[in-house]
Amino acid sequence: MRIHDRYKCYFFILPAFLLLVSILGFPAIAAVLQSFNLVWVSKPSFTLSSYGRLLHDIEFLTSLLNTFIFVSTTVSFHLLIGLGIALLLNTEVKKRHFFRVIAILPWTVPDVIGGLIWKFIFDTLPGFVNAVLIRGGFLVEPIDWLGRPHLAFSCFIFAEIWRGYPFAMLILLAGLQAIPRQQYEAGAIDGASALQNFLYITLPNLKYMFIIAMILDTIWECRLFGMVYSMTGGGPGYASQVLSLLTYKHYFQFFNTSYAASIAVVLAMVMLIISIPYLRITMRREI
Amino acid sequence: MLLIVIGLILSGQPVKAQEIVISYSDWQLAQDIWGRSLREAIAEFERLNPGIKVESEPVALAQRDVKFTTAIRAGAGPDVFALDVNPVKQYIKEGWVKDVTPFIEKEGGQQWLSDFYPRTLMPVTEDNKTYGIPKNTVAMVIVYNSQLFREAGIKSTPKNWKEFREVCKKLTKATKPGGPVDQWGVAFVLAKACFDLRFSVVLRGFGGDFLTPDWKHSALNTPEAKEAFNYVVDLILKDKVMPPGVAQVDCNEARRLLAFKKTTMKIGTMWSITEVSGFNPDLHGWEVLEMFPIPQKEGVKSKIRSTLYQKSIFMNPNTKHPEAAWKLMKFLTDKKQMEKWFVDNNMLSCRKSVNDTYGPILQSKYASVVKREIENAAFLPLIPQWPECLETFRQNLQAAIAKQKTPDKALMDAHNQIEAILTRK
Repeated sequence: MRIHDRYKCYFFILPAFLLLVSILGFPAIAAVLQSFNLVWVSKPSFTLSSYGRLLHDIEFLTSLLNTFIFVSTTVSFHLLIGLGIALLLNTEVKKRHFFRVIAILPWTVPDVIGGLIWKFIFDTLPGFVNAVLIRGGFLVEPIDWLGRPHLAFSCFIFAEIWRGYPFAMLILLAGLQAIPRQQYEAGAIDGASALQNFLYITLPNLKYMFIIAMILDTIWECRLFGMVYSMTGGGPGYASQVLSLLTYKHYFQFFNTSYAASIAVVLAMVMLIISIPYLRITMRREI
Repeated sequence: MLLIVIGLILSGQPVKAQEIVISYSDWQLAQDIWGRSLREAIAEFERLNPGIKVESEPVALAQRDVKFTTAIRAGAGPDVFALDVNPVKQYIKEGWVKDVTPFIEKEGGQQWLSDFYPRTLMPVTEDNKTYGIPKNTVAMVIVYNSQLFREAGIKSTPKNWKEFREVCKKLTKATKPGGPVDQWGVAFVLAKACFDLRFSVVLRGFGGDFLTPDWKHSALNTPEAKEAFNYVVDLILKDKVMPPGVAQVDCNEARRLLAFKKTTMKIGTMWSITEVSGFNPDLHGWEVLEMFPIPQKEGVKSKIRSTLYQKSIFMNPNTKHPEAAWKLMKFLTDKKQMEKWFVDNNMLSCRKSVNDTYGPILQSKYASVVKREIENAAFLPLIPQWPECLETFRQNLQAAIAKQKTPDKALMDAHNQIEAILTRK
């Protein structure tokens, strides 16, 4: 059989396409079907009740708001700290490779382990933070860092800022290294100050890398589970609960599979919308 | 092939019968002392059943249901596994455990089951079908450090919650003159892990409960529940007889606090002695730790004041070797293994014959307290919605302790949310 040249390329990408569909597509489709109570449930029957329930579930709405606050805060700090450290690492300092390794270390810690480490650090009785504050004479009684709603949520955000900034740093560092030196040389000839160099050369050149780092980090943080699971468990109450943890609880602890799937679908939709600018940028740059 | 067989026969090598391999998963396999005891039992099973090999599959308690349910839904999973009572009804409802009634019938049916306490068969039975075999059961009591009681001049254990509060206050103090408070009366488990068994006894000790006796409605709107709820919140916020950060205390942390004399009491049971002693051998737990029954509110005549724990053994519906799996289930729950389990792990059996006749149990000071308390204990609701109801209650209790809600509002929210959960299904 002779395949027309026009369709040859499709034939060659077919195996990869099928693989991607089976690996990525199947779970996604299954999750959507499950949210309609159609698969992997004891009594399958089409219903939209899970989605209807989402609108009235205070715990879901609180978790959605928590996710929004958590993601926007952590991503903002990741970009800010990441840019600062990337700028430092991009300078001509001795042993900069050593500093790069040090700077990237938090990102090598698995999120569950990171959560446990910070849980011990903020522990009320034997915790490091309270011990330092009490010995330093700043406190008389230990603070219940993870037992007060706003403190617990803030500690969780703080811990994830620490753990996740190297990701943004790496992308921005790559962007910084790609800026042609001639632009800075031209700036120097024109008598531009360091701030002017940063504002008119560095930042415009980093624009796309900045957007890519922001979108990828946002998607990553939306899905974050291990850190909150091991550090606060979503508590106290559900003060630090995010959507990924709520999904887990409904799926594996309460066995509300359809409802859990509907939360996951909502989260996936949010991430899909966020990823559109990323896709547009990457596709435009390739063209 | 024929030549190979002939060759083997001629060379004197026996043709080895095909070995059946089954797997057994248990969260206690992942724990040091319990795991050792289970592995010894499995080795003994393999010795007695030469054609069967058992592969141990440890699983962390927190990951147990994630692993089991995912694997079973995918047509895999361990052939035999252990569960506590909390998720059992959901497993039965979803078909994640095999009906073992036909195997029991072959063993003698009701006659074979008659050695088990009737109450222990409740969690594993649905529509007259038996889905698992009960292994261990215990009731929750208060475990305390008798040495610290003596040092504080406390001569008798509290019988009611008023006395309990007074004892807690006496035991909360600074151990170094002029220093900060570093010893507290008690630490309740308020984190997710093990919350259910511990907190329920306070509710029941006040004559209340989470749900109505038919498990169809929330019972958190009763005066008894309100009193119990406020009592716990007051112990933490007003009396400060629990260590700071108690909202994050799980069962292991409560054991650690008792082991290092940071607290003097905890809600626990038989396993507490082994576990607490393991945390700090210098405590000499087997000598200083004692037990007393759950206090009751003065004037409350309710028989039930404690909660039953039970571990049972189940068969995976996907098993390819049901006969071998049944043999293992039967072995792990037989009289001899239950006796070994007491010697190794200080745990009582679901078999009457073991608890009533085995010498070491009859002589144990702990077993006598817990055995008596079994008569005053009941299971937590055996309904599929229970895990969600419990978590809803716990979240609201934590909100009250964190002063996010008033105790009354938190309890009413818990009541309304649980009603909604029970109505929904």
